Amino acid sequence: MCQVSADEAENNTQISQNHVSMAEVLSEEDRERKSKMSAVVVVHGGAWAIPDELAEASVSGVKAAACEGFSALKRGGNAVDAVEAAVRALEDNTVFNAGHGAALNANGEVELDAIIMDGSTLASGAVSCVKNIANPVSLARAVMEKTAHIMLTGRGANMFAESVGVATVPTETLVTEYERKEWEKRKHYVAGVMEDFNSQWAHDTVGAVAVDCAGNVACATSTGGIRNKMVGRVGDSPIIGSGGYADNFSGAVSCTGHGESILKVTLARLILSHIEQGKPVAEASQASLRYMGDRVRGAGGAIAVSPSGQWAATFTTERMAWAAVEDDVLCYCIHKKNLQPSPVAPDSTPSWIEK
Amino acid sequence: MLPVVVVHGGAGHIPKERSETAASGVCSAARAGYAVLRGGGSSMDAVVEAVSQLENNPSFNAGCGSVLNVKGEVEMDAIVMDGKTLGSGAVSAVRNIANPVQLARLVMDKTSHACLTAEGANQFAWAMGVPKVPEESLITEYSVMRWTKNLAPDANPVECQMGKMGTVGAVAVDSEGNIACATSTGGLLNKMVGRVGDTPCIGGGGYADNEAGAVSTTGHGEAIMKVTLARLILFHMEQGQSVEAASDLGLAYMKSRVGGLGGVVTVDPQGHWAARFSSLQMAWAAAQRDTLHYGLYAGEHVTQSIDNPH
Repeated sequence: MCQVSADEAENNTQISQNHVSMAEVLSEEDRERKSKMSAVVVVHGGAWAIPDELAEASVSGVKAAACEGFSALKRGGNAVDAVEAAVRALEDNTVFNAGHGAALNANGEVELDAIIMDGSTLASGAVSCVKNIANPVSLARAVMEKTAHIMLTGRGANMFAESVGVATVPTETLVTEYERKEWEKRKHYVAGVMEDFNSQWAHDTVGAVAVDCAGNVACATSTGGIRNKMVGRVGDSPIIGSGGYADNFSGAVSCTGHGESILKVTLARLILSHIEQGKPVAEASQASLRYMGDRVRGAGGAIAVSPSGQWAATFTTERMAWAAVEDDVLCYCIHKKNLQPSPVAPDSTPSWIEK
Repeated sequence: MLPVVVVHGGAGHIPKERSETAASGVCSAARAGYAVLRGGGSSMDAVVEAVSQLENNPSFNAGCGSVLNVKGEVEMDAIVMDGKTLGSGAVSAVRNIANPVQLARLVMDKTSHACLTAEGANQFAWAMGVPKVPEESLITEYSVMRWTKNLAPDANPVECQMGKMGTVGAVAVDSEGNIACATSTGGLLNKMVGRVGDTPCIGGGGYADNEAGAVSTTGHGEAIMKVTLARLILFHMEQGQSVEAASDLGLAYMKSRVGGLGGVVTVDPQGHWAARFSSLQMAWAAAQRDTLHYGLYAGEHVTQSIDNPH
């Protein structure tokens, strides 16, 4: 049922054809297996030109996170539990730009955005520009579950964190040496330049989508935002319909890439509107990312699941690290071209490296 | 059919003694927006002008007259969107400025970002030379009265909430066919510090696309966010629905799926417009072909010449 796709425009014909035939075969299979509801977790670690030195760590990070999410389902958790667990694992991993390892803003500070959404009720929680929080996705969940609101920002979000007993951590614990160095290199960058997400400094966003065996879907997205962003900049991640959206009637999506472009086309909601019109998840994701490229010249990626367990990981950037667990089988990839399914075994030799 | 501007002054229950000021407020905002369009201004200029007027009018919950948060402070949200480029600018939880909609436009025009929040938004405002106004200048006696009343242990927050209208907004199409929207609000009465509603969220509080149309929304913010109401209505229009049918479908879906009430103003690229609401009332006004249209109650639609009101 997995539909892996890449932007055809940037692929050679041979590979596009392979993908098309694969999608056909798998959707056949999907029809046969429809009676048996299968749980799926898909995660991404950001769509950008991931440099070779980070590639391996990125792939093992998304694999581990997908397994975390799937174990939450196996323990009896629902889709919301699964996406929270998966995104927490990515936030705790310093390789990714979220939680620990977040990008620094123009003042060298960490300001984090996150969202979580429950497709069964359309309830959602988000925080923007929150500081000193190790797991913004869990704070977003607390906003969803413990307030009458959907989104809290800035100091107010931190006050809420304190009131519900979420521990604050010193900024330094969230900042890696790598990020501090990159920030120093880039701090002369002038805000106002169009960020190019195929450049290697535009480190991005993590996210997860899941469907549980009751057919409930959920999504979660978390980010440190764009390196050297203005103080107070809010990107697409915490904005419902842009950074993510989940609806039991159509599916769940988590987005990554050039945030301002994702906002312009409300990418998550756009992908789901194509699914509502009857497109398969992979085609819906491709069409929407292509539209974002054509209309506002933005590159990015998205992961999507449908309530029946179809899923896709799609991107128009050079790379996006992603992993999916479905029926105890782990799939993962970082390049546009290959897909390596393997049994769930986080220690297995990485066979994904493309030479 | 072009140009056209449609404004709203919020959906909710409008107390009788305030209905006249609400109607005259939206009418003058629509006139101001239309004057910009007649003078050759863009749809973006028109919606920012119309919304600035509503922000400056203490009868509305935006700019001066904003409702107070749980601490008795004013935190405001606003968005603008340009349908030609899909560029947008937004501010959330910003303080001490008179016209958040103008700051939202500066975010769109002067930064590479689409949204700035809280202290960062204020820092940007000062860097742009936007004057800092004392908080008291944004607070009215009425908003203090309502805030105090709502703090009382026996307060009925829902009833108090509906007494004051939400959010203001505008949509416009100029004679070149460019479409824009703008929305601005003081948010929810007695909201938590830092609460951000639908208004500054693209696709929630507003959306504009030259190829489909524009929507500005008002009402129960959390419900609007859950269904991304503005974007939802435009999806329906992309599927061939009229402005009116698409608006009604979006509002009906919001009511049935998440139990939320609200209102919208909608335009399409040809200049068809609609002002629809599922709440008891919504103050709205539209200006097109030198005619002013306005209403407050369901089914109410008054027309008059824009230059000779009587």
